[in-house]
Amino acid sequence: MNIRGKAHLLADDVNTDIHCSSKYHPGRDNAYVAQHAFEQLAPGFAARLAKGDVIVAGRNFGNNSSREQAVHILRLMGVGAIVAASFGRQFFRNCINNGLPVVECNVSGISENDEIELDLGAGRVAVPARGIVRETPSLPGEVQAILVAGGLIPFLKAHPDWKPV
Amino acid sequence: MDALPKDGAMGATISEKILGSHSGSRPAQAGDVVVASVDFAMLHDARATNALTRIEQLGAAKLPFAARTAFVLDHYSPPPHAEAANIHREMRAFSEAHGTVLYDVGDGICHQVLPEGGHLTCGDVVTGTDTHSTTYGAFNAFGTGVEGTDLAAVMMTGKLWFRVPETIRVDLKGRLQPGVWAKDLTLAMLGRLGAEGANYKAIEYAGPAVAAMEIDDRMTLANHAAELGAKAALLEADEKTFAWLKARGAREPRPVKADPDARYCERIEIDAAKLPPQVARKHRIDDVVGVPEVKNQRIHYALIGTCTNGRLDDIRQAAAILKGRRIARGVRMIVTPASRNVYLQAAREGLIEALTLAGASVEAAGCGTCVNITGHLITGDGDVVISTANRNFKGRLGNANSEIFIGSAATVAASALTGHITDPRTVEGGVWRPISNAA
Repeated sequence: MNIRGKAHLLADDVNTDIHCSSKYHPGRDNAYVAQHAFEQLAPGFAARLAKGDVIVAGRNFGNNSSREQAVHILRLMGVGAIVAASFGRQFFRNCINNGLPVVECNVSGISENDEIELDLGAGRVAVPARGIVRETPSLPGEVQAILVAGGLIPFLKAHPDWKPV
Repeated sequence: MDALPKDGAMGATISEKILGSHSGSRPAQAGDVVVASVDFAMLHDARATNALTRIEQLGAAKLPFAARTAFVLDHYSPPPHAEAANIHREMRAFSEAHGTVLYDVGDGICHQVLPEGGHLTCGDVVTGTDTHSTTYGAFNAFGTGVEGTDLAAVMMTGKLWFRVPETIRVDLKGRLQPGVWAKDLTLAMLGRLGAEGANYKAIEYAGPAVAAMEIDDRMTLANHAAELGAKAALLEADEKTFAWLKARGAREPRPVKADPDARYCERIEIDAAKLPPQVARKHRIDDVVGVPEVKNQRIHYALIGTCTNGRLDDIRQAAAILKGRRIARGVRMIVTPASRNVYLQAAREGLIEALTLAGASVEAAGCGTCVNITGHLITGDGDVVISTANRNFKGRLGNANSEIFIGSAATVAASALTGHITDPRTVEGGVWRPISNAA
């Protein structure tokens, strides 16, 4: 699975429950939250992000954040993948389960609007313009199969016996 | 089921063995992704809306795993608003239609009623839609928190994907002194590793201090590992574990031990005998100090309960301090037993009477005063709380202008007595020690 898009940066310890869910927008629908996601951390973030672009974040992205709604909103925003130094555990699961590729990688030297390329099978993140090529943990075949299907629910609809995992 | 066929090269941790034995013949190693069978699953009311939506999206004609899933109505117990009451109605109807186990309002907290109901045993994989599902590790089960999509997958297929975690091994030497509890031990770990210090990882707790603990305290140890970010927290099983599970009709245990040459990402040794009572200061669960450092801190609320410390030994300890005495003027004390069974036993032992006479309010079982969404307690501006809960984020009790300190039931009861944060070892009854309640 290969992904290519513009990088949009966020810092360490971003809690997606707070910045990308209706937790502090009670009664608002996902479309509204998607237009305002990460606004407090990076004004204009949602407007800058084009379909297929990549969020590049620091340590603990999604820490203490377990709401699946955050991932539904990220998908609604058109986020193509997230590259971060590390992720909150349940957030990481939620991304895979909802078909959003997530890769752990050292993100130093990557800047806003850089063209970034991900090869999930080979385990590689690259920013060719800056000569950055980094090896990352390759996503196991099982996880890639869930991502290719678009998430765990479409995967199980097609493969109720978990095969071809 | 215990010993996997070893690959010969390397020993395995408890997590590697349990996830390996549940995912076919191949041994699992940290970092592997496996599709493992699940022995029991849990959904609570605070996560039900998302989970039931995901089950509907999955569109399965049947949910073969429903009979091995418990729906627990504990967070909104009783419901503080119509939305919660309607979620309950939906859960009851779904449970009836598909044949899940149901624990209704007042039955207790998910992490208490699952073990009490005999639904899990040693060597199991148990998933719950709650971070504190690590509690089941007290019974040598791989218990871990998941979300709605995960639950939908388990209810349809009986399986789920897991990344096999690396393990931090914690060897606890010596024995906790009277007045010092698993709560204090975990707070000390939080002070040392930081919140999320074990993110993605499993923790194995072992050593004489664990063996000396009663089941209630072991459950605190496994439960509270969630604040360290742990995916699971595993204790080895012993005669106390077996007796406790047998008395509750659990399936035959399949105990799992770590190999002596298991590979750990980190090893920590703590001398439990040297540990004094600990307190997490306001707003941060990992801002931890010894009780003497905050001993003059005045308090307005003393709270005992939640999935971390609402068990019988916690209530016994509180009553040992407060029986025949009166809590300090200006302090409101609320005790919430973790389950109906705990409540009943506390009543039989006269603990509820003793606490009520001391000026405490004893609530019906449930998640109680843990977090403002339950509707049990909203603090006022300037209120200072000492609680046995597991989290103290700013605003957790509905008011960012109040403060929550966290300590053991002994520390909370001693503080209720004096009106300021107090080392339980300095008050009469504060060095009470539980006797085995295994059976």
